[in-house]
Amino acid sequence: MTAATLRRYAPFAVGSLQSLLRYRSMFLINALTATTAVGVQVALWRAVYAGGGLPGGYDLPRLTTYVLLAQVLALFQSNRVDEEVAGEVQRGDIAVSLLRPVSYPLARFAAGLPVSLTNATLVAVPVVVLYALSLPLSAPSPEGVLLFGCSAVLSLVIGFGVNLLVGLAGFVTTNIWGVRVVKDSVVAFFAGQVVPLALMPGPLAAVARALPFQGMVDGPLRLLLGRYHGPLGAAAILGVQLAWAAALSGLAALAWRGAVRRVEVLGG
Amino acid sequence: MRPVSTTVRYVRLTWQLSAVSVHRLTEYRMDFLLGAGGLLLRVVCQVAVIGMVFRQVPEIAGWHYDQVLFLLGFSLLPRGLDRMFTDQLWILARKLVQNGEFFRYLIRPVHPLFSLLSERFLYPDGFGELLTGAGLVWYAAGRLTLTADTTRLLVAPVLVLCGTLILASIKTLFASLAFWTTNSFPALYAANQLGDFSGYPLDLYHPSLRWLLTWLLPYAFTAYVPASYLLFGRARPLPWLFAVTAGLVALALAVWHRGVDRYEMTGS
Repeated sequence: MTAATLRRYAPFAVGSLQSLLRYRSMFLINALTATTAVGVQVALWRAVYAGGGLPGGYDLPRLTTYVLLAQVLALFQSNRVDEEVAGEVQRGDIAVSLLRPVSYPLARFAAGLPVSLTNATLVAVPVVVLYALSLPLSAPSPEGVLLFGCSAVLSLVIGFGVNLLVGLAGFVTTNIWGVRVVKDSVVAFFAGQVVPLALMPGPLAAVARALPFQGMVDGPLRLLLGRYHGPLGAAAILGVQLAWAAALSGLAALAWRGAVRRVEVLGG
Repeated sequence: MRPVSTTVRYVRLTWQLSAVSVHRLTEYRMDFLLGAGGLLLRVVCQVAVIGMVFRQVPEIAGWHYDQVLFLLGFSLLPRGLDRMFTDQLWILARKLVQNGEFFRYLIRPVHPLFSLLSERFLYPDGFGELLTGAGLVWYAAGRLTLTADTTRLLVAPVLVLCGTLILASIKTLFASLAFWTTNSFPALYAANQLGDFSGYPLDLYHPSLRWLLTWLLPYAFTAYVPASYLLFGRARPLPWLFAVTAGLVALALAVWHRGVDRYEMTGS
């Protein structure tokens, strides 16, 4: 990416950052959603350990860490792109965006980035602190943190691709709320946001491994918690993520081109 | 004589307005399938998680697999009913006071709350929850070989109705705050989010959370208390259930009326 492209797309990021001030309540909502989700999951798994289970070789602090950081990653990937794109399509504002001499998907990515980063800092940090103070967690190794960092960046691209595709569904249906409920539950499930893939029964885990979503939560967290075999295992996780990030970006670009062709805006 | 004729009038109106909604539903079939299907998928994911938990241990906090499924299914019945009839409260919390459109509901010859809710009677997305809930209860009850004595069969619908009233009251209460704060969406969302805890046995949670869910935001009475009665015959908290329902409905209506009284129209 050259300096000129950066300059061209920076205003989208700045504008999105400014408009975030209008959505301050969104951060509160996200924090509560994440806190509740972690609360329910941790309560369930604590009961499993109390009953003598040792699911998938995870001990309780590790599984708690997994459940908590899964929500952090989910926050990191919630960039409002699906809402914004679908909203533009529904209101017809998309016509204005088409006039701009920039790539729409890239502009959306630039606008989504500040949302992700703000979510990851303003929302995720308090939630992590809250649970770190009240529950025993497992401390990751330095190389785990490093690999997790790379993997999280890739997960951001995958999450963006998924959200853009969901947003573009606005060209097909008006019930974007419904599409997002579908996305939220299915993606979260197959990403391993609720249960690590290692705890899923064989066939289900196989399906989850074949889908791109595992690169959003399960992949990064396996790297963080050291659940891979040697450097090659780590490279494989990152490689699969990279491949999916590229594939989804391509798919989103294709879908965008297809969508523009069927755009119809009233009046103007 | 008048209370009877008033009731008849409202029942007839509800019937007619629901019929209008069904027409709308056939018009937007894809949207309906997405909304209802989305909620269905969310439940499927929840059931899958419960299934994975019980792959590890035979019981959690004294509850077996089928009992937890029964509880989850039961929790969806009041939820679905509430969603079908009170969804417009979300719009009130989000924007009706803010943009001044609320006055529309004050100039109709029916109770303003009814007028508001009637805009979205039989909101189709609720069907998804209602049907999956009924399916889960049916399935779990069959596997548990529950003794379906007449008392329980007669009490069960009343319990569902009370649960619906509790959920609707909590929603009305928090949506009404918009009359003071112009936008109560975050508060309503937060209150609603805590309801996610109620689909699981409350024995899993810390006593303080359990207390909160019983006495502050009484979600316990929408699923846990009725399901424990139907499953284990724990009838002791049932009088509380009726008292809480009555008290909460009265409180919600009082707050609603105070709010409507202080509502001022925008000048335009």
